[in-house]
Amino acid sequence: MRWPGYAWAAAATLACTLIGLGMSPRFDLVNVAMVYLLAVVVIALRLGRGPVVAASILNVAAFNFFFVPPRGTFSVEEQQYLLTFAMMLAVGLVISGLTERVRARAKAQAALAIEAETERIRSALLASISHDLRTPLAVITGASSSLAERGERLSVEEHRALAQSIFHQSREMSELVTKVLQMTRLESGTIALERDWDSLGEIAGSVLRRLRERLATHMVMVDLPDDLPLVRVDASLIEQALGNLLENAARHTPPRTLIRIRAQARGGELVVSVEDFGPGLPQSDLERIFDKFHHAGAGGVGLGLAICRAIVHLHHGRIWAEQLPGGGTAFRFTLPLEKQPSLPAEALAR
Amino acid sequence: MNATILVVEDEPEIRQFLRSSLRAEGYRVVESPNGQRAAVDAGMHKPDLAIVDLGLPDFDGVEVIRRIREWSPMPIIVLSARIQERSKIDALDTGADDYITKPFGVGELLARVRVALRHSVRPDTGRGILLLGSSFVDLEKRRALRDGAEVHLTAIEFRLLASLAKHLGMVVTHRQLLQEVWGPSHVEHTHYLRVYMKQLREKLEPDPVRPRYLLTETGVGYRLVADD
Repeated sequence: MRWPGYAWAAAATLACTLIGLGMSPRFDLVNVAMVYLLAVVVIALRLGRGPVVAASILNVAAFNFFFVPPRGTFSVEEQQYLLTFAMMLAVGLVISGLTERVRARAKAQAALAIEAETERIRSALLASISHDLRTPLAVITGASSSLAERGERLSVEEHRALAQSIFHQSREMSELVTKVLQMTRLESGTIALERDWDSLGEIAGSVLRRLRERLATHMVMVDLPDDLPLVRVDASLIEQALGNLLENAARHTPPRTLIRIRAQARGGELVVSVEDFGPGLPQSDLERIFDKFHHAGAGGVGLGLAICRAIVHLHHGRIWAEQLPGGGTAFRFTLPLEKQPSLPAEALAR
Repeated sequence: MNATILVVEDEPEIRQFLRSSLRAEGYRVVESPNGQRAAVDAGMHKPDLAIVDLGLPDFDGVEVIRRIREWSPMPIIVLSARIQERSKIDALDTGADDYITKPFGVGELLARVRVALRHSVRPDTGRGILLLGSSFVDLEKRRALRDGAEVHLTAIEFRLLASLAKHLGMVVTHRQLLQEVWGPSHVEHTHYLRVYMKQLREKLEPDPVRPRYLLTETGVGYRLVADD
């Protein structure tokens, strides 16, 4: 970072000298000096203090050598050119000092903003997790204590119903805890992607199997072209991302709404979409929907989409939501396509 | 039948739940709280199946599997937390036959146990006949029918099906399949599997995008299930 600064200073001097040589037959020396001054100002705005000093010295030396009579020597006949040097240096230092101060202030403000945002997220996380855990914990505590203390007075059906609700609620809690852990791991950057060639069709097939109970209330259609290229991804993460999008679509649309999984290769990337034909979302929501806790409180901590975004970004893809013409929402993400791997002879012969 | 099951798990509460659900099904249960004991108990009680937790306090569950595999082909099912993707695959490649992710319901576990025990009693299913809905595959005669009509399967497709059928109902890792079908120099070529599984599903599955028989275990491998 430092040396390029000095290189720029030298380059600026060279450029000024060339411009100056072009000007010198027709313009006063003062104007040539102005060109050098301009270069110092620009360097002071862009680079640090060191390059400013270097540029001032180089500029005055060059100015002296090429333009101040007697040309081709460093002798200073008129004291005014010492003043030129002093002025150039002063202007450069003042401007670079000001710039540095402004930069430092902006940096401090950005750090403060990040700190405030982290704090806000942390308290939102705590609030929504404790909210989302409290209900299942209450159910589990109540139901299991009835079974443990009053078990013999309950009918077989009551037994089963209580046990069922413990099972159901603890599954929900486990899902939630997994999501929180996952988000933490994704954000801390400790996840190493286990990339391998995979097909989106297989990933979709396995996510539909895993979520078949949760998606049973909706109609899910899979629309994948036959010649879909393979992608090199961490399949478990992409499976999760796709699953979260499907769960999200099912949670926010009425039962029996059609949900469609699509994928298309387009311009060096694979575009994967989960489209729902529900009532749709206002544009203002679509922009913030991937932020953490956007849905906090509305069933689910609102981590699902934030996890999707983190996973897609880890794969160098983009993710966004858009309104579908005629209502409904499309969630789309991209995965970069790589050169397809070569196949064994038998498969090629077909 | 009263098969004996070795449960290697350090959490007493999980052991208790496993013990009571397995006993309720009529199995004999031997419990080991750590890997050291597991190695001893496995030798002493000669169980028919082992359930091994991957997060043991003393040594890695994978090490337990390695030690059991040195002298016994008994089926091994590993219990893994979701965070342990890598060690799950290592366990399977070391010789575990199947896995189940915590938390799990007892129904899931008992189904895995039944499949694994059936496999150890009748390990020759690799040469048998597969009923996959309206598809029928005779691996020995190398014939496949779908809705009564002949379906052409290539030599490699048959080999792949046979490899999966050898572990019917259980998971087979990418590495194992590539090794068995294409040989040791191809164990990294996961994309071969993507292409061939797609072809097999199109030929045999009623709905290839939602497979019912040729199942994907994301990031791990495949599992073939067949109608009885």
